Amino acid sequence: MNCLECQENLVAYLEGVLEEQASVGCREHLDACPACRQERDALARLQQRLTTRGQVAAEVSLVGRVMGRIRDTQSESHTTMQTIKTLLRWGLGCGAAAGLVLAAVLLFSTKGEALASEMMTKGAQAARRLTGVHLVCRVRTAPADNFAHIDPKMDFVPVELWKEFGALPKWRVEKPGRVAVMDGQSTLLYLRAANAALKVPKPSGAAFDTSWLHELADIDGTLSAEVRLAQSKGSTLELRRETDASGATKAIVTLEAKSGLPDGDYLKNAFFNTADTRRVYRFDEQTGRLEALQVFLHAPARDVLVVEVDRIEYNPSLDAGLFQLALPQNVGWIEEPKAAPDDPQYAAMTAEQAARAFFEACGREDWGEVAKFWPLPVDDQFKGFLGGLKVLKLGDSFTSAASNARFVPYELQLKGGTVKTHNLALKRTGQTGRWVVDGGL
Amino acid sequence: MDATDQECVERCRNGEPDDFRFLVERYQKPLFAYLAGRLRDRSLAEEATQESFVRAFFALRRLQKPGSFHAWLLGIGGRVAHEFQRRASRQVATDPAWEFADHEVAADREDDHLEEAIAALPESYQQMILLRFYDELSCQQVADRLNLPLGTVTKTLSRAYAELRQHLRSSVDPEAAVHSEIKP
Repeated sequence: MNCLECQENLVAYLEGVLEEQASVGCREHLDACPACRQERDALARLQQRLTTRGQVAAEVSLVGRVMGRIRDTQSESHTTMQTIKTLLRWGLGCGAAAGLVLAAVLLFSTKGEALASEMMTKGAQAARRLTGVHLVCRVRTAPADNFAHIDPKMDFVPVELWKEFGALPKWRVEKPGRVAVMDGQSTLLYLRAANAALKVPKPSGAAFDTSWLHELADIDGTLSAEVRLAQSKGSTLELRRETDASGATKAIVTLEAKSGLPDGDYLKNAFFNTADTRRVYRFDEQTGRLEALQVFLHAPARDVLVVEVDRIEYNPSLDAGLFQLALPQNVGWIEEPKAAPDDPQYAAMTAEQAARAFFEACGREDWGEVAKFWPLPVDDQFKGFLGGLKVLKLGDSFTSAASNARFVPYELQLKGGTVKTHNLALKRTGQTGRWVVDGGL
Repeated sequence: MDATDQECVERCRNGEPDDFRFLVERYQKPLFAYLAGRLRDRSLAEEATQESFVRAFFALRRLQKPGSFHAWLLGIGGRVAHEFQRRASRQVATDPAWEFADHEVAADREDDHLEEAIAALPESYQQMILLRFYDELSCQQVADRLNLPLGTVTKTLSRAYAELRQHLRSSVDPEAAVHSEIKP
């Protein structure tokens, strides 16, 4: 082995991964060559320095606290409405904006009790350096609708989150009608009823309106943020204790959470993050671990339990298959709108004009035209529901502070004679400027 | 392949602020090591690391070269460390307990420039160094993680070391001084 070959192999040699024959050749050359020995020693010193530096930081695990502080700071440095406007300038959709509103949910208005704060801090400390978490929830929501949707009039449906932390996070969120999976490489949403899927070819921290669940899974960050806000702004934190059947003492911290949205906003209380709620955290007092969370929606007659996280598994053993999704062969793929020659014509429409064009296309069963507004596959269920409809009335569009959609009030007569009254949500697509239907059917 | 820094930064800017967590995951350890070397106190370094990330998040829109996130983050970290040091120096004058502060990382003081040199490397070299030393993976684990042949990992590390030594040589660095003496 000559000097060039030796130096080319030095790193593999020092790492102990060089094949045996080459390793022997390298060692023999080093024994005989002072210059290459100096090079080896210099490399070894550099590796040792890097190893030492890595060891200094080995136990560092700050993601939850950093993300919690970011949410906290967003709340402190802006009013909720200003922040939402900022996010909307960034092009956020309703669900993502709703994610920010969670920060506002964490605001308190009166001085917190020291003991309750201590319990929250203890809970945050008990949730540091997690490798994973599994949240088992029940939520009053439409089984197939948006992950953040809540409705106090609906029955509970199961919602779960599995999350693996670390350098390459992975997660899965599931409710009966839809499932979202991030396998570390890409992010996939599957809508069961529509048999349609949407794939984002990149990993995502929290996509498809799952941000509120991810924030809850950041137990350390969320509890820390709440304590900081309690200390800086005062809070309605309350602490009580109870003993369960096994004799274990449970600490229960209750706080009031405001969305910051004005009364009368169309989306207020429609999503987890846009609701005024009372949150009840339940801790095991001895371990400090958060064991459960109940979220009550404030309603005129009485508060209604809308979300219950009734099981929290810390560092669960998560099967790799959880983060994979086997889709039916005939799945319809939802794709980003591509540029088309008629983009300017459609982009020039108002929301009201787009709503009319969409409904009238449904009425004459012109499914090609419908597909220009409808982002999912136009399947038989859709055709049976809206085909042949008659537009009775369309109103002026309006907005919500929690979304960049426009909502067009409508009254339709469906083919069977039923009259349907609601508000059609429309959003402009970033690429083409065209309107697409975003809900309200 | 993981999302690049540029992709993460752009996604944060385009309405997915939760994706900032990828950048925190990626750089929390080198940033902490850098700040621990500057501040010589683990708890202060931990606080300064958090502060640096939070400031970086709110300044993302001003980052002109998203691909240079790591170097830019260390710049923010350096300013935060400076502020913390000034605050600490005031504390020294008023708080006699300061002399008993945690000095366990003092030995790393001479390595203040190491993370800056790493941040100046091309992103693919940085990734290799960070996985190998800050995530403490073996070369084989790095190869598995990046789906690369083992030989590619060692060769990339070799090139990364060469550039790293070049960067260190241009800074005030004891290793560079030793190295320049023995260079043929």
